[in-house]
Amino acid sequence: MIDRLRRVLRVARWEVARAGGGVDRRTLAAALALLLVAGAVLGGGLAVGAVGVDVDRDVYRVAVDGDSPYADAVEEAPALTPVPVEGAELGDSADLVVFDRRSESGGVETVAVRASDTRKGEAAAAEFREAVEAHNERLMAAEENATAAFPVTVTLRYVGRTSALDEGSTLGEDGGGSGDGIGGDGAGGGAGDDGSEGDAGGADGDSTDGGSAGGGFAVPSVGGGAFGADTVGSPGSISPPFPFVSLLLAFVFLVPMNFLIQAYGSSVLDERTNRRGEPLLVTPLSPVDIVAGKTLPYVAAAVLVTTLIAVAVGGGPLSVAAVLPVALTFLAATFVGAMFARSFKELTFVTVGVSVLLTTYAFVPAVFTNVTPVALVSPLTLVVFDLQGEAVSAGEALFSTAPMALGAALLFGLGLGVYREEDMFTQKPVARKLLDALAVRLSAVEDAGLGDLVDRRRLRALGSVAFLTACAIPFVFVAELLAVATLFALPVTVSIPVLLVTIAFVEEVAKSVHLYAGFERGVFARTDRVAVAVGLASAVGFFLAEKATAVVQAVGLTELYVGRAAFGSVAGVEGLSPVVLAALLFAPLVLHGFATTVAAVGASRDRTYYALTLALATLVHAAYNFGVVSLHG
Amino acid sequence: MIEVAGLRKTYGDFAAVVDSDFAVEEGEVFGIVGPNGAGKTTTLKVLAGLVEPTEGEVEVAGFLSDDPEMRRRLGFLPEESPLYEEMTPLSYLNFFADLYDVPSDVADERIAAALDRLELDHRERRLGDMSKGMKRKVAIARSLVNDPDVLVYDEPASGLDPVTTNSVLEFTRELRAAGKTVVFSAHNLYHVESVCDRVVVMNEGRIVARGSVDGIRERHGETTYHVFTDVAPARTDALADALADAGADPGDAIEEVGDRFRTVVPDMDAVEAVRAAAADAGGGVVDIRTREPSLEDVFLDIVGRPMPGRYTAGSGAVDAADGGEDGDERDGSERRPAEPPEGAE
Repeated sequence: MIDRLRRVLRVARWEVARAGGGVDRRTLAAALALLLVAGAVLGGGLAVGAVGVDVDRDVYRVAVDGDSPYADAVEEAPALTPVPVEGAELGDSADLVVFDRRSESGGVETVAVRASDTRKGEAAAAEFREAVEAHNERLMAAEENATAAFPVTVTLRYVGRTSALDEGSTLGEDGGGSGDGIGGDGAGGGAGDDGSEGDAGGADGDSTDGGSAGGGFAVPSVGGGAFGADTVGSPGSISPPFPFVSLLLAFVFLVPMNFLIQAYGSSVLDERTNRRGEPLLVTPLSPVDIVAGKTLPYVAAAVLVTTLIAVAVGGGPLSVAAVLPVALTFLAATFVGAMFARSFKELTFVTVGVSVLLTTYAFVPAVFTNVTPVALVSPLTLVVFDLQGEAVSAGEALFSTAPMALGAALLFGLGLGVYREEDMFTQKPVARKLLDALAVRLSAVEDAGLGDLVDRRRLRALGSVAFLTACAIPFVFVAELLAVATLFALPVTVSIPVLLVTIAFVEEVAKSVHLYAGFERGVFARTDRVAVAVGLASAVGFFLAEKATAVVQAVGLTELYVGRAAFGSVAGVEGLSPVVLAALLFAPLVLHGFATTVAAVGASRDRTYYALTLALATLVHAAYNFGVVSLHG
Repeated sequence: MIEVAGLRKTYGDFAAVVDSDFAVEEGEVFGIVGPNGAGKTTTLKVLAGLVEPTEGEVEVAGFLSDDPEMRRRLGFLPEESPLYEEMTPLSYLNFFADLYDVPSDVADERIAAALDRLELDHRERRLGDMSKGMKRKVAIARSLVNDPDVLVYDEPASGLDPVTTNSVLEFTRELRAAGKTVVFSAHNLYHVESVCDRVVVMNEGRIVARGSVDGIRERHGETTYHVFTDVAPARTDALADALADAGADPGDAIEEVGDRFRTVVPDMDAVEAVRAAAADAGGGVVDIRTREPSLEDVFLDIVGRPMPGRYTAGSGAVDAADGGEDGDERDGSERRPAEPPEGAE
């Protein structure tokens, strides 16, 4: 193990040296000079600020009495210099004069402000006005009674109740509830009597008290109870207080990834171009050692940059831990892309595709932080929470990061499948490379009589089919989450059918594409018996792995209408007989078995048959999904 | 040192190597020759552990070809030698020495010795700025950084100028003298003849001839006599009969070369017939030369077609393949697609 680690580190060290050697010295010097200039400007600015040299300080002279109510405002404004009213002359010794007209008791009755009739006088008046406003704001903020300082006017508008599934409602809404409509009343829609408590109500996280449980929407709280039932909603129905600053800062974490994957993808493809990496394959190092060594510097760079950004924007270890799976997925997807691409031109498309897709996946859901559980699809949401100083449960953290982390591991595994001489240097289209990568993970399944059905070798081969299907679950999960995140803002009459068909298609592809690869690459015998065997094996693998998605229950995603449509729900099964429960439990297995077998039989013929049977399997699956959604309401 | 038994490598429906068996002794330079698509490179890659055999066993230096320990004892030079162009020869070779766990002081010595012998001076220049010959030398030096027992060289002199080629061939002979076992493939049969102790001839994935170069020549080639006359020999019946008896075509046997005429005949009876025919025409024989068959001729005899890009100087006038007979070992029972897939040689 230590030897292996040493070998990996050795490759990593040389990868760093090689990558460094690839940069022209002049370019490096120019970049360094630019960095120094930028640092000097920034440092200079900071230094100037630190010693208090402000170019706009003491620009205007304001004549004001020391006991004037405006004296403090003038004193506090850096651009204004107070001068005595006595002897002040407009345009000469003062740009602006504040005259206090006092009563006999000495109190100020009225105030007159006069500025010199020059442009400087006009500017001084404007600066004076701003200084007074800022002074008043500070006084109000210091006031103990905030309600008195910042009074709120609420206008109630009553609207007619509408069906939860009409054109206007969206996937985020709880359908069929008996609530009070948008806004709700004081008892049902909010969590308290006054506005401030209502805002904080989400922090309670008690779904039974929230507006959603009552059927209406509560105003989402800022920074608390993100996954309580009172927080569900969508942009179509609510105006959430988006955490813009945190979101913007979270986005900063994604920016360096785009540069990293360019360098990493080029390095991997460079090994393949003109067989440059062939000698490495003859060394005692395994492909895993080589890839790990080549990847390590980029992972280290990602961690380093992420940590620096976290320190700069006020994030903590949670931010770094949340961004790491994103970085790994960026790198893993780029690795696979670079292993499949035939040229740097193709690689460019791959890296741009990876960048757009993963940025969308990470950023778009995070926009709805504090609004809906869908936001937790993205690890970036954890970063937003971290920047807001909010706690995140282990389940939420796992839900956000596990699919990406697992997906990254599996993508590396997929790419490693073709990291060998026979596949690495061939110029095949990306789709054929994908089939190669899948086929190398399968074992031969020959046509066999009934007596050989339980042959150990055959069972192992079918086990590899089931395992490969199970490995597809994180990708299925990610694809479905992306579909949910993309569609949840649309009206349900459009989005539900699209979502259910999309999900059916994604799952059917995940269950059958490697079967097609197996038949195409001659790993499986092209017979119906073999097709049925591998189809059923794939279905069992999918069924078992699918149960892992139960994690969504832990974070409340199925409280969303769209969440239930995508992932199903165990709610409402109380009181059913064990037989019915067992039937419900195994119904998906029957569906998967039938649909995957149909697709497998098509895959055993040719591409056209596979496309047709895949379409058929998708339709059957989608019909089943509609049935399930209808049953659940 | 190398044992190959029942080697078969297929890519889908295409068989790149079929039922290949051979053994290489320690300290031997062993050649694999054959036309494009014959299976030479695939065989070498299996030996190097780069390609997994579909069937059969390959043992190198006492280790199976998929054993990482085998790779420590083997140096491989692929047909192309693309290097990391941003590195210098020294950094590149040190990198590979590092991967083979060679201590840095030993690596320094070994690298310096190899580069000295290969006469590569620009050791701090970027590899990307070097000529093809210089890069090839660096690649050869790379194959030696782990001081391997076995060297597998695929077309080591491919595309090099004559001076560099001779240097590489001479270096290969020195490796043999140093006790290394070298397996060597080449299109250029002259290179094979000049370096290899034994060869196998491959065609369409199969070994169709094997043995020492002289032994193969003896089995598959024939000595010919080039009879030069100062006049064109009279086309007498006696000459026609003699050439026909020897299997030569009278029409092709006589060729005008400058101010003389050359008649290529297979035996001394035919030489006598040429002499008589020249006398009938009023002239005589001015020169007789004996010519041994080259490996090129042997190859033509076995495979039935000329080597692509063959070396012609000194190898006689072999201009076209007219369908020679198959070798004894040749087995044409298995039909294969005409074009090999990508990745197969």
